[in-house]
Amino acid sequence: MNSTLPTKNALLWLMLGLSLGALPHFSYQPLWVTGIFACMLGWRCMAIWRGWPLPSKQQRRMKWLHHSIAILAAVLLLTSYGNLIGRDAGTALLTVMLGLKVVEIRSSRDYYLSCFLGYFLVVTNFFYSQSIPNAALMFIVVAILTTCLISLNDAKQALNGRSQFKLASQMLLQAIPLMLLLFVLFPRISGPLWGLPTDAYSGKTGIDNSMTLGKISQLIQSDEIAFRVKFNGQQPDKSELYWRGPVLWHSDGTTWTELNNKKLSTKPNIVTLGPTYNYTATLEAHNAHWLFALDFPNALPAGIKTHFTQDGQLLSDEPLRQRQQYQLSAQTQYRFNKDNDGYLADALQLPNNQHPRTQQLAQQWLQQTQQPLELVQLALAHFNQQDFYYTLSPPQLAGDTIDSFLFESRRGFCEHYAASFTILMRAAGVPTRIVTGYQGGEINPVDDYLVIRQRDAHAWTEVWIKGQGWIRVDPTAAVAKQRIDQGMNTIMPLNMRSPLLLSNSRQLAELWQTLRHNWNALDNSWNQWILAYGPELQKEFLSKLGMPNPDWQQMVIWLTISISTVLLFISLLIFYQRKQLDPEVYLYQKFCNKVAVNRKASEGPIDFADRVKQRYPNHSVEIEHINQLYINLHYGNKSASMDDFKQAIKAFKPPRI
Amino acid sequence: MTDTLSQLYRRFNQLRGRRIFIVPTRFGFVYAGFLLLILLGAINYSSSLGHVLCFLLGSLGLVAMLHTYRNLAKIELHHAFSEPAFCGEMINFTVLFDNQSHHDCYQLDVASKQVLTPTLNPFRLFKGYKHHYLVAILKAQKTTSMSINLSSVRRGYQPLGRIRIASQFPLGLYTTWSYFKSDASALVYPKPVGHLPLPTSTDHGQQSNHHKQSGVDDFSGFDIYRTGDPIHAIAWKAMARDDVMRTKQFTSSLGGNVMFSWRDVAELRDTEARLSQLCLWILQAEAAGINYGLSLATTTINYGHGKQHRHRCLSALALYE
Repeated sequence: MNSTLPTKNALLWLMLGLSLGALPHFSYQPLWVTGIFACMLGWRCMAIWRGWPLPSKQQRRMKWLHHSIAILAAVLLLTSYGNLIGRDAGTALLTVMLGLKVVEIRSSRDYYLSCFLGYFLVVTNFFYSQSIPNAALMFIVVAILTTCLISLNDAKQALNGRSQFKLASQMLLQAIPLMLLLFVLFPRISGPLWGLPTDAYSGKTGIDNSMTLGKISQLIQSDEIAFRVKFNGQQPDKSELYWRGPVLWHSDGTTWTELNNKKLSTKPNIVTLGPTYNYTATLEAHNAHWLFALDFPNALPAGIKTHFTQDGQLLSDEPLRQRQQYQLSAQTQYRFNKDNDGYLADALQLPNNQHPRTQQLAQQWLQQTQQPLELVQLALAHFNQQDFYYTLSPPQLAGDTIDSFLFESRRGFCEHYAASFTILMRAAGVPTRIVTGYQGGEINPVDDYLVIRQRDAHAWTEVWIKGQGWIRVDPTAAVAKQRIDQGMNTIMPLNMRSPLLLSNSRQLAELWQTLRHNWNALDNSWNQWILAYGPELQKEFLSKLGMPNPDWQQMVIWLTISISTVLLFISLLIFYQRKQLDPEVYLYQKFCNKVAVNRKASEGPIDFADRVKQRYPNHSVEIEHINQLYINLHYGNKSASMDDFKQAIKAFKPPRI
Repeated sequence: MTDTLSQLYRRFNQLRGRRIFIVPTRFGFVYAGFLLLILLGAINYSSSLGHVLCFLLGSLGLVAMLHTYRNLAKIELHHAFSEPAFCGEMINFTVLFDNQSHHDCYQLDVASKQVLTPTLNPFRLFKGYKHHYLVAILKAQKTTSMSINLSSVRRGYQPLGRIRIASQFPLGLYTTWSYFKSDASALVYPKPVGHLPLPTSTDHGQQSNHHKQSGVDDFSGFDIYRTGDPIHAIAWKAMARDDVMRTKQFTSSLGGNVMFSWRDVAELRDTEARLSQLCLWILQAEAAGINYGLSLATTTINYGHGKQHRHRCLSALALYE
């Protein structure tokens, strides 16, 4: 029984399911993976529709061809990935293998395996993205692969494709309540169980621990969400929303980098003042250590292992490989190393023999004043009053980048202003460092979450002044105050915020924005409740449900009880048989209910109609008509139309007696 | 003690109806293995949707169990019968199955086994089945007839034995099966073989010359219709004249009455060979249109002719002890 060849329809269903399952992978896998997969499926399709030969004992050549494609794929996999166990390599291997397998499905066994591997293919999608569309795709793919199994087990094709899909969907719908129970109650274990492949978290965009001019302006092309913040209570002014990331000290003329780790391990001396803002941040995984915190937190967040560095970065001990939630309270006024800082020498470092014109300018300013604060003002005024422009697409800089920016192009993004300001200040003897991170954000009116996207990435500077400590100076504000006060959104042209087609009309663009806000709010709850549901959230949720201190034994007991109950209901649903009435009897019953005459069990329709006519003398024609139709349909030759009968009963409205 | 217990057990079985077994197939186990793999992947990558997929497929597996069970839940064996067959030929049982559910039952594997050895292990019951249908379908609320061909082993009554219907529909993750018992049995005539010539003498036994020798060759006159006479023999023209149903009578040119008796085959080795020889003679006599009778140690059948008579004689041979 198991050696029968799967039918044509079963194979087509399988190929549809596998293609949909592999669809998300196509966007990031190398083209040849997609190519081999598509070619193999195409081959099988042509075998079905056009009778092309398949690899088999009789078709030696095809067998050779198939083997050589397999060897080629293996070589390509090894050369482009170097191994076969990583996340990317494993997924590519699975995709290629499934394609090759489809060509040589000869028995039910092959078919079952391909189907099960197809299920596994779905889970590999989740290693990359767990978005709502991906989840929706999962249900579709699972429904199709289940249809495949049904199709295989219906060798006679007694059900057509539609009924097979319907049965599969029906079974999945019945499975969903059980799935929900398992999702809530199944004891969760916090992963990873063993070492993850090194590429498990690659491909995360975000701020880096170094800065080259032009790098942040690439980030603003990205609409991706960096983190979300929910303020409990009052919210600081938009111009105070500086989310601190890596702090950059050292420059080699083009690239800015952090201080080395050893130097940063000492604790800074920070005194915070002013109103306290409490907030919860949900940070997307970025595979690095920074927790972007509002300047300045007055305590470390609970629940995760973190520490402050000497230059004020809040770092987690483990790289952030999953979406991470943390609660912080911040005060936006602070004194940072007010009296002394151990690394002032690093804050005065200048690359050797570079930026001569910039240094010259700084020397000119030094002749006007020696006061650090006045020097800062001079620089800011310089940016403000000379013809400097803030642009999202700065021109390419040639040669000495700082000099050519300050004296030639004068069009730049935040990093250009921050870098050149730092060089100017250091040349004038004022300790300065660059802080990168995010600035601003956008409030989603739907759920009041502040959403900070990659395009809100920003770079600003801090200068150290004796007695006041590190003071934030944002040279970008001198050029484009709007950027700081109202956020990136107002700066960006419409066509960068919405699809090109919609950007011509303001209404459409606004509609787009509203839709996006709603979608984001949905996405946020999705993240908070579905994706974040792990061991901790499970405990919290179950104790809210009235299970104090849930341990796994309790969960298993409740799981068993609830699953048995639900299964009982489902089996009732499946096995319960409604008494099927003929349609005309059902309609006639309606008629009987309309009249105020009770039909006796022994009474035939004619006798009953006579009594009804006596009761409603004015309606005797209608009653007789209905009676005739019923007799014709139920006892007679069924020549009358059911629709007429339906109409007649619908139209029959006896007076209330 | 054992008796009361087994009686109680039988009562219990009667109460709960037909027993339906269900176990996972090897693909069911492979499926479970894949689920475990998905779960491990989901835990390792802390993927919430990986958990969702695993739980969805797990629940699907549970639901599939109910659906597989449903495929057999309401099937009943309605009735079974068969035509007699000669030993060595196939016996053709017609078995009617009733599907009382509102759903069609798909992909049914209908198999049967004749010789039952008592065993408590349900798995051993799998062995020795002959598959008749692999992908039968029973329509909802319909009675479906299936023909089950069994090879005949020996003469006499051959029971239909036990029928097993199994199904893996819809997902192939479980196999479910159930046994159907029927009292139906087929009559198996002896095998018609032998080398002795057909006895032509009519001297054996108490022959009666006045007995008509009906045959097929020459028309000999009319007779009043009796139930069981062949339709093609009815004299329709004569009936149109006076409304009396008559049959046309023919006589055979061979003529004569033959009584086959045990003595005729006494030279043969054993009982079975003798019965086979008698069987062959009966068939030959029937074909030749000779009136024949049968005289055995236990029974004697008087002269006769026709299908019914042949059956009587052959049955006597089949059931000869």
